[in-house]
Amino acid sequence: MTAYLFRRLLLIIPTFIGITIMVFTITRFVPGGPIERMIAEARMQKTGLSSTRPSAGDQNQPLSEEQIQELKKYYGFDKPLLVSYFSWLGKVLTGDLGVSTRYYDPVWDMIRDRIPISLYFGSITLLLLYGVCIPLGITKAIRHKSQFDNISSIIVFIGYAIPGWVVGVLLLILFASHWEIFPLGGFVSDDFQDMTVLGKVWDLLLHTILPLIAYMVGSFTVMTFLMKNTLMDHLSSDYVRTAIAKGLSFEKAVFRHALRNSLIPMATHFGNNISLILTGSFLIEKVFNINGMGLLGYESVVERDYPVVMGILVISSLLFMVGNILSDICVAIVDPRVTFE
Amino acid sequence: MKLNPLTHKKIRRFQSIRRGYYSLVIFIIMIGISLFAELLINNRALIVYYKGEYYFPTYGQMIPGKIFGLDYEYETNYRELQKQFQAKNSDNWVAMPIVPYGKLETDLKEDRYPPFPPSFQEAHYLGTDNVGRDIVARLVYGFRIAIFFSLILLLANYSIGISIGIVMGYWGGKFDLFFQRIIEIWSNVPFLYVIIIISSIVVPNFMMLILIMAFFGWINMTWTMRTVTYKEKEREYILAAKSLGASNFRILFKHLLPNTVAVIVTYAPFSVSGGIVALTSLDYLGFGLPPPTPSWGELIQQGWANMNAWWISISVIVSMLITLIVVTFIGEAVREAFDPKLHTTYE
Repeated sequence: MTAYLFRRLLLIIPTFIGITIMVFTITRFVPGGPIERMIAEARMQKTGLSSTRPSAGDQNQPLSEEQIQELKKYYGFDKPLLVSYFSWLGKVLTGDLGVSTRYYDPVWDMIRDRIPISLYFGSITLLLLYGVCIPLGITKAIRHKSQFDNISSIIVFIGYAIPGWVVGVLLLILFASHWEIFPLGGFVSDDFQDMTVLGKVWDLLLHTILPLIAYMVGSFTVMTFLMKNTLMDHLSSDYVRTAIAKGLSFEKAVFRHALRNSLIPMATHFGNNISLILTGSFLIEKVFNINGMGLLGYESVVERDYPVVMGILVISSLLFMVGNILSDICVAIVDPRVTFE
Repeated sequence: MKLNPLTHKKIRRFQSIRRGYYSLVIFIIMIGISLFAELLINNRALIVYYKGEYYFPTYGQMIPGKIFGLDYEYETNYRELQKQFQAKNSDNWVAMPIVPYGKLETDLKEDRYPPFPPSFQEAHYLGTDNVGRDIVARLVYGFRIAIFFSLILLLANYSIGISIGIVMGYWGGKFDLFFQRIIEIWSNVPFLYVIIIISSIVVPNFMMLILIMAFFGWINMTWTMRTVTYKEKEREYILAAKSLGASNFRILFKHLLPNTVAVIVTYAPFSVSGGIVALTSLDYLGFGLPPPTPSWGELIQQGWANMNAWWISISVIVSMLITLIVVTFIGEAVREAFDPKLHTTYE
């Protein structure tokens, strides 16, 4: 087990280098990077015309060759790929993710501001997910093929078919645009600072409900059916039959014996959910315009703000990998039969 | 085609699951309709009868307006032509498709700005999008692209996954270890983000996008096939074939592969719906196929940006819901047919 975990931890290193070097390489050969943007900005100031798309090899170059070289040096574009990659990596290892080429803020500060928001949605989602899916799964398993089971299966199924962010769009159109019950997105209202404590809580709640549903849709079905199916597997196993044959009440057989074992796969799933939660979901954050990590990542790609792109990649892939390892540890703790070689 | 009795039994079982069977029928009809979408939804006429001659403009070269006695060289506007013929009350006639709008055509009005709400009079049955393109046309052509995208993606992912997975499971050893490490690394890539980064840089076309997605999508099938092969190769029939002197090649293709088909088939429908969702998500974010390709994701984006035009998002979400539910029902039925789990229930 220890050896296995140690190997997994060591594997983070090549994975991390692999991902970052791949994306780093790609981002270097892109038109529309910081230098192109500055050239475009300079041209805009010069001509007063706005052109969003900088075209290479333009006739009236607003910046002199020297200035461009200086800029390239500033952004590390003058050095060969590997050299600048390793200098970037060296900085990352000391905790310096660089400075945004768009907002000129340190990348780490930008990410740090966003993490609590993603975490807020993530943790509530997780809590509700386990709080609702486990009882629902148990009920469905015990009342297999009953009216309740069939009807709830259909509803849960529809949730499985359609992705969470599409549900989000639908919810926004119905409840925010059409009926105007909920706000149109965002994390808090604009006048949040001036509200009373109670008003703040209410405001936050209103902004939370729709995204929360969208977040939950993603894992809800999987979790419910996981619970149901494993419990049913255990209910039909010999040890439960023996327990009932010995005269144990059905209730006790379920809750004392079968349920305990059926919770193992649910625990296994925990790790998967962790990584989902910490990195948030771009799609849902974009739909609801929530300023979490996902939206930051999306915007930085759109704006070609590569230090931020790389920073988000670093943080999210690290979280992802740690989440996977945590998931393995969870399994090993809960299920004594599992030994990783 | 001679079917293995076991396979036959599975197909019978699939047919007996009504929900899944009808879903499959509906799904096939949907694909069939989308294949002939040009005949139903098009700005080109189906048949033009002009001066004693028939023209079929749907497929093939565009027919310039001059042919029909109009005063321009570019492609005939058949809707106008139809009106003209009707006004003149001549023998000539034009038969238009049910939805007489093209997938890329913008229908602009002089006094109003798009999006236009649904209107039967103008044959915009679901209205138009924010630039005046017919939504039915966008939906159907978008469906065709999405469905073929995910089918080709499935083919790519599965052929890579199955071949590597079987080799990993069958021969094991260094090859297995090497790919195990690669898969461990690969599965830790936050791949939606990486795909977005890549396609923000190289604006991908259809095949490019499949390539990019397959680059990250092959691991699931590989891992599944590896596990299945590992289990299967220990069974007696493989041992028997081996001791009879069958070559590795023969064992793999004649014995092992047919016995893993159940697994492959069970996963396929879910990969199809996964592919559709992935393409739609990328298109929604603006990193999928480049505009003006008809796409559901782009329609959702428009509906999201312009919520007052509720018909845009409602029609695309409903079509998406129908498609995905149909595919999921097929998947559930296939799973049940190929891997029946009989549960004991207590009374």
